[in-house]
Amino acid sequence: MEFPAALFSSYFGAGPLREEGGPAPVAGWGEHGQVLEGGLGRRQAQPAFVPRRGATGERWEAADAAAVPVLLPSAGCWIPSPAPQDILYRSGLCRKLQAGKSGAILDFARQLGHFFVDHPEDAFGSLGRLLHKNFYLGNSKLKVTVSRNSTIRMTALLEDIERLEARHGCPRQHLASRLRWFSHLCRDWLFEVPLGLLADCLHEELMQQWSSLLFDDSLTGGALAWLPPEDGGTPVGCLVHPGGQAMNHLYFQDVVLEELPHARGSPAQFELSGRIRQVAAARVDGEDFIGVRSDYHCGVWRVPGKTGAAPAPLQVIRTDVPASCLTVSPHLPGELSVCTQSGTIYLWSIETGLQQLRHDPQTMFFRDHSPWRWSDFTAHPRVLSYADRTGLQCLDARAPKRCHFDLFKVGEEAGCQQGERVVLPMYLGRAHPSQYLVTTQFSVYVLDERLPLVPVLKWAHMMKAPPLFAHLMPGNPGRNHKVLLGASRTQELLLLQYQASFWGVSSGGSQSVCQLAGTPQKLHSIRGCLQHLPTQLPHRHHLLQQRLTAPAAGLAATLQEDGPHKSMLVFQLSEAGDVFCQRLTHKAAQPPAPPSRDEATTAPGSSPLFEAPASSPPGSGAAALRYHRWLRALSRTCREPPRHTWLASLSQRRLFTRRDLEGPAGPNSLQRQMRQRLRQAMRDGGRIQRWEPVALQPPPLPETLEPAGVLDPLSTRLTAAWAEDWEQWWEERTSFSVAQRQRVLRERRRRQKRAQARRSLSASFTSSLPYQSELSELSDTGPPLLSPGRPPIPSLEGSPPAGSATVCSPPTTPAPDEALLSSQSLRCRGIPKDRRKILRDYLSVWVEVPPEPPGSQASQLCIPSSQSQLSSTSQPRRKRPRMGF
Amino acid sequence: SSHEHKLNFRKSKEACLSYIQDALLQKQWKRAAEFLTCYVESLEKDYSREHVSPSEMIWRIGTEILWHHSQSSMKEFNCFMEQMKTLGVKRYLKVCLEHVFHLLCNGQIDEAYQNLSLAESWRFGEQTAIQDKEMKLIQAYRGLLDYYSWSKKKNILLEHGEDGFSDLAVEQEMHGYFRKAAVNLKEIIKIPGVWDLFVKCYVDLLEFYGDHNEARQVLNEYAYNSKFPANPNAHVYLYQFLKRQGESKKSLISALKILHDIVPSHELMIDFNTMLQKSKKRKKRRLGLEVIFAALDYAGWKENAKAWSCLARQVKQIVISEKHLDWIKQEWNPRKDWWPAFHFSRYLAKRNWQENKSLSYEKALVAGILLGKDCKYFKYVSHQGCKAQLKRFRVLKKFVNRHNPVCLRISG
Repeated sequence: MEFPAALFSSYFGAGPLREEGGPAPVAGWGEHGQVLEGGLGRRQAQPAFVPRRGATGERWEAADAAAVPVLLPSAGCWIPSPAPQDILYRSGLCRKLQAGKSGAILDFARQLGHFFVDHPEDAFGSLGRLLHKNFYLGNSKLKVTVSRNSTIRMTALLEDIERLEARHGCPRQHLASRLRWFSHLCRDWLFEVPLGLLADCLHEELMQQWSSLLFDDSLTGGALAWLPPEDGGTPVGCLVHPGGQAMNHLYFQDVVLEELPHARGSPAQFELSGRIRQVAAARVDGEDFIGVRSDYHCGVWRVPGKTGAAPAPLQVIRTDVPASCLTVSPHLPGELSVCTQSGTIYLWSIETGLQQLRHDPQTMFFRDHSPWRWSDFTAHPRVLSYADRTGLQCLDARAPKRCHFDLFKVGEEAGCQQGERVVLPMYLGRAHPSQYLVTTQFSVYVLDERLPLVPVLKWAHMMKAPPLFAHLMPGNPGRNHKVLLGASRTQELLLLQYQASFWGVSSGGSQSVCQLAGTPQKLHSIRGCLQHLPTQLPHRHHLLQQRLTAPAAGLAATLQEDGPHKSMLVFQLSEAGDVFCQRLTHKAAQPPAPPSRDEATTAPGSSPLFEAPASSPPGSGAAALRYHRWLRALSRTCREPPRHTWLASLSQRRLFTRRDLEGPAGPNSLQRQMRQRLRQAMRDGGRIQRWEPVALQPPPLPETLEPAGVLDPLSTRLTAAWAEDWEQWWEERTSFSVAQRQRVLRERRRRQKRAQARRSLSASFTSSLPYQSELSELSDTGPPLLSPGRPPIPSLEGSPPAGSATVCSPPTTPAPDEALLSSQSLRCRGIPKDRRKILRDYLSVWVEVPPEPPGSQASQLCIPSSQSQLSSTSQPRRKRPRMGF
Repeated sequence: SSHEHKLNFRKSKEACLSYIQDALLQKQWKRAAEFLTCYVESLEKDYSREHVSPSEMIWRIGTEILWHHSQSSMKEFNCFMEQMKTLGVKRYLKVCLEHVFHLLCNGQIDEAYQNLSLAESWRFGEQTAIQDKEMKLIQAYRGLLDYYSWSKKKNILLEHGEDGFSDLAVEQEMHGYFRKAAVNLKEIIKIPGVWDLFVKCYVDLLEFYGDHNEARQVLNEYAYNSKFPANPNAHVYLYQFLKRQGESKKSLISALKILHDIVPSHELMIDFNTMLQKSKKRKKRRLGLEVIFAALDYAGWKENAKAWSCLARQVKQIVISEKHLDWIKQEWNPRKDWWPAFHFSRYLAKRNWQENKSLSYEKALVAGILLGKDCKYFKYVSHQGCKAQLKRFRVLKKFVNRHNPVCLRISG
């Protein structure tokens, strides 16, 4: 191996960190670092110099405006990992406290409450059964029976609890004496698990969740691997990725590399017993070896070189302490290295088993609390590197105690900052057999094991989150090597290029020296595509946002050469199990292009991705189609949780009292009819599929446009706009005859007078037509649930024809009138508080719609608004963090 | 209130910075430049006490933009740099150094030299440790440029010397450059660090003026001082110097032995091996075998035909003479559990045969001797070789078959 004839100059000092630390926002720009004479100078008149950073790099440009999904979302809804707001205590009082101090306050009580509600059997099982008869939860008075003396009525207690909930966060909140009395009485015996013990466990779990929210190093290395096709074979590679609700399924998916890579056939699938943290792969002798790490298990698979060959599981090991690293040897088939959080490193050979190389719970160079350990291979197949947060050592597997040397130290040797720690080491063997990449939260280093401790390259990467993933794409001789860095929480992706030719051009001395080439380049992240998606309904947008901003979980990339066209495909995996891909194309050295469209910011929904295919590159149309498919599949898989079983036994008797159902003084005929139908439906115990119009003639326009009691022109216009009658509205407005206007005004005044009398619930159902059309529109979106054979009844005028929404247009369905269901509007209609929820649930039953038949609305983009109602009720449950119980 | 005002100002400053950062990372230089003009305002109300001040940020961002902006010129760049130098006292030397680097990379050697001289004369209060280091670097680079001027004059003189006529003025100038260069270069290489370029130039100067002792001392210090990093080049320079001086084989070997100990995979190991193989001493030949085996342990040497032929030659010699078979055995023992998979798999046999016939010949010979005639690598290559009717492969097959009992003794 050729060593560079001269290296860039640098000072060398030993000792602890000296430089004042902290993330410097722009530390990576504007520096050459050092220069070196570029070999050819001797004979020429002038010496030529090359910089350590700032040499020209290759031009790679993104082919699309955003990353595109490669695979359809897997079945089963994704459970988001806890967010800070799920764990932290939030109330006005505490926010002030928090602002003053940096320490976060964990919401312990709420989590304990969740546990009691979610797992009542585990929390109170036996005593609950024992006391079952002694607690009465009903509303009515206790009847005088034999059991009266031994039964207590819990309703008041429950009301107290509810009141307490309502006052949550109030500084003057004090416990109701009844509650205090109850808890004092039964704290010692009610719980299945002693409360103190349970609290300890929960607290420990909370602390762990919180620290993993701050920085989750279990994902280090990434859980995505790309197995490239054999040289000269068909362009079909294999994507190895985790999936499923708990990310415990391992998939081997064949992917065809075309303009947009797409899956071929169904994936080989393995179900594992734990969440997959890392997938590592290496190719030895034409065969791929894939190591898979979960917390307590590590497994290895082999994929034979032939395309289409099935992956075969080889061996599994179990560890007592969570494993923190698994790497696959690029030199010898079936060799891996494993590290555990107890500070042990093993060389794992399929043939000979595990060989412990070192066990040391302490960190190497100075004390650091993190139990994270890492290991990788080096240029010598028997020498392994071993890393903790403080640095890297290399040790010889044949004599690990005696033969080792320090490769990297966080300290003065590498010019580190205070607080800097190793985040991810990676062997760069495919680019240069003796080089190593080390990332910290501030910088990225390239090391040469022949010159330990002195980085041959150092650059401040300026990423907002520490780079947990890295991927190397070696360049051909004379070309730059590419390294991709990826962060988890922020989904950042950074492309770096560097030169380091091995067996370099032997004439020029400095040719083989390590140089950073070009400027670093930011690539699209998954969340970046959000702004290019068509406008969504607010709650859909929220769900989509939650899905797309999930932390990244892995990174893979491949270079593709198709004659003169070179391109790079970058895959990114998110914690939700989505794999997105982007293509970068290589541009031969050209004068800098005029500012392209990406210099202008793109407005949401007006992205080039969704432009008409004629005006955009051919790939874009396909990308848009891919998005539509993905969105549709997502809406299908992420449907609400299964129906609640109590729906069938919903009591109608308690819903409305006689007084409620009594109408106001003078309802019009339409209202009367509707009320009748409602009563009929309630008596029959059925449901109303659609509000059929009795008067086939549409009511006069002003009626439809103005909801009762709202008179200002703005609301009218907005209502019209929602119903897509805006143009008509404008026409009316401009061309209304004076007589018509007068008539409208008279009508209004009359209604105003009646408004007082209309404070009952029933009036609201029929008072305005927009709402009516809303309901009919909702029930239009699919065949009726109860009687599938019944021909659909023509919809009301004014409701847009469902299913006609085209691919490129924004959703045409108006938002549901959720205001009707809001507690405020219910309150002002005089519905007692305890019935509001029942009513709301009842209403959501009406608007429920059977699942969309596959393929029936292939081109429909927007989600039927019925879902919004349903998921708005199921939303609060979904957001609850999943704790480790 | 003023506190709120400060807070708002900081927020908008941060937002602006993040826009700039975004533009830079997407190579939108024009957009970044526009934002930077807004960011300059932050200089006026600099409330921050962070360790990276806005002026440093402006310097870094501005430099980066001017490197890449399609409409920037060297003149503009120089102008910007001059402004940046006056902006912060603490960073003056650093900015100067970076400016010089940029000039050097653009071939403006004379301007760079002027800048270095200016920076060298700069004084401001007491120097910090970092400033001290930067000053030393500035002096060293000036020394380096002086060396290049010296070298230019030397070439002129040598050319003229061929014509048989010498120029006194040029010679005087040359000596002047020598003095200036030597003083500065000598200073920096005393401090622990990687100074390959400076050491090479300084040694070149010393050698020209015949000061071999000083040169030797400098190189020894650079290679063996434990405060310096373990730089393989230091040993290479010493070895090359000793070779130029016509030193004895013994001292050359001892220099390379140390290099072998710190970097067994260095490319000079082939020279070392050939040197040792030629030696009459058994111990040295034994060391030669060790050296070549150790080099071939490394992934970077896997396909190095030269190294494999060195090993093949030596192993063959030993097998033919049937002396020192234990040497091979000793080297082979710690490797026999992983070399077969690492070097002699069937997959590699196929690939080596397709890509490099002579490499596969050498490797097949070694495999045949170390693993016997039934080894997959040897079988595949010799079979292919015989099929292709290549004479030397037939000879190889015969050789291995004849010596198979010996081979078995090694592998057994």
